Amino acid sequence: MTHRATHLVRVALLGLAVLASLLPLAWTALASFRVLPDNTQAPPSWTPPQLDNYTGEIGIAEPTFVQELVTTATLSLATTLLTLALSFLAAYALARSRFRGRSLLVQGCLIAACLPVMAYIIPLSESLRLAHLEDTYLGLLLAQTAVLAPLAVYVLHGYLAQLSIEMEEAAFLEGASLGQVLAAMVLPLAAPGLAATGLILFVLNWNQFLVPLVLTTSQVKTLPVAMSDFFTFERELEWPTAAAALIVSLLPLAVLVTLAHRLLERFTLAPNSET
Amino acid sequence: MLTTRQRLLLLTPLGLVLAPFLFWPAGFGLAASFTNYGPLQPDPHWVGLGNYATILGNQQFRAAALNSAAFTLVTVAAELAIGLALAYLLREPFAGRGLVQVALLLPWLVSPIANGVLWHFLFDQRTGLYSFLPALLGHAPLPSPLGLSGLAMPVLMAVDVWRMAPLATFLLAPGLAAIPPERWEQARLDGLSPFNRLRHVVLPSLAPLLATVALLLIGDSLGAFDTVLILTGGGPGTQTLTPGLFSYQQAFQVNNWPAGATSAWLIMAAMGVVGAIYVLALHGRDGRRRDA
Repeated sequence: MTHRATHLVRVALLGLAVLASLLPLAWTALASFRVLPDNTQAPPSWTPPQLDNYTGEIGIAEPTFVQELVTTATLSLATTLLTLALSFLAAYALARSRFRGRSLLVQGCLIAACLPVMAYIIPLSESLRLAHLEDTYLGLLLAQTAVLAPLAVYVLHGYLAQLSIEMEEAAFLEGASLGQVLAAMVLPLAAPGLAATGLILFVLNWNQFLVPLVLTTSQVKTLPVAMSDFFTFERELEWPTAAAALIVSLLPLAVLVTLAHRLLERFTLAPNSET
Repeated sequence: MLTTRQRLLLLTPLGLVLAPFLFWPAGFGLAASFTNYGPLQPDPHWVGLGNYATILGNQQFRAAALNSAAFTLVTVAAELAIGLALAYLLREPFAGRGLVQVALLLPWLVSPIANGVLWHFLFDQRTGLYSFLPALLGHAPLPSPLGLSGLAMPVLMAVDVWRMAPLATFLLAPGLAAIPPERWEQARLDGLSPFNRLRHVVLPSLAPLLATVALLLIGDSLGAFDTVLILTGGGPGTQTLTPGLFSYQQAFQVNNWPAGATSAWLIMAAMGVVGAIYVLALHGRDGRRRDA
């Protein structure tokens, strides 16, 4: 194949993939403005756009939607920061230690990240009840941190194991404290990787369903729980309303990823294969 | 290297969160699957392997396990293939690549629950995307395939691939970018076909990352339940029932926590087998490299 033909094939295939990604979302965005086809007519007719899903007095899909959006954003941010901080310290300890089974422990983190929450969710809710943390922000924050930390430790270990340790060793020899080395040498070098990992953790938190579903009852409610609620309890839910809720809950993540896409290119699972 | 005291100092904060909120519940959950423990059970007692025998003999669970095997095999293979192909197409820089990458990641940002809601409506006969094209061509609109015997499972697989293939692309792209340009150039000079380029250039250096991504995707597919819950509820019949959904239904809809926990630990056991193979394969590879 000539160079030009290869180029055309590449553009065509990527175009197709972008279309497949965006068309379902564009359809949803249109539906949120009540722009819907009627497939029973030939050719299908379209309804004109309306804004009422976004401007209506009852809020989007239900009166408490904005509250749920704020809850989800706050919790996701707090969980991401706590997970990053704790996992960074632990991953550093693992990356700067040599003991038998260390590699197994790191790979074990990856496998623990795949543990289905269902396997321990009821004892977990028992843990929270004993700590008087059920249905609270703090309880959900700690529980979600525990769910995501194994993945975070695995990924951050990959970044930290790559950094050269000679400078750190030299600093320790000159009497620098652990805190000084971490803050002045390790953190600046690991910052892009930390930020990229944080972004991925934020998305995973935002979309987490089972943990908030079981650990909260009325005080704290996140978007996926709300969405499943109004879908399971009101089977007749109107599509444009659901579409508006869907678009609004997706938009913050889409904006974040668009703004930070250069940073996201730094996210990688690869370095761990070299341990 | 760090001193023991420093190591403890670094590991303790995470340990304080993981001990009560992961290790204890997981250990307790595993132990409880050998008892009749549940939130409504005042006096739990030991039942040995009773729960496991009951679940493994349960017709619904068996159907779910078979569904899960097919679902995992098909979705993970498709997600890796599509992910690898798209990452390959994105390898060389071009104007607007950043935006294309963002567009290709968007489906993964949709939560599994929202993904179920989204596709439920996209398959709607009167207003959905699925039956729009036939209607445009003058045919009668198609009924939602989610309620049709034989079609529901393939459609569920496709919906999962739509959401997860973007993640595979995203995770595989840095691995492809890390392959030195000289190797591509050499392959071009040698006149290697695309298949042979995949075999001799891509796979040798990408294999460990491919295995890691496969492990994450397998974990996700084995535990699949939230999208299924919204889209089909496991139906028609048990055609789309997954062990994850079965476990959820047992624990939270019929309040049979032992059955729910036991089936979740069977998913974990399957995951453990996959994980063990992964660790052994990785170890074998490192061993060979050290010997070389």
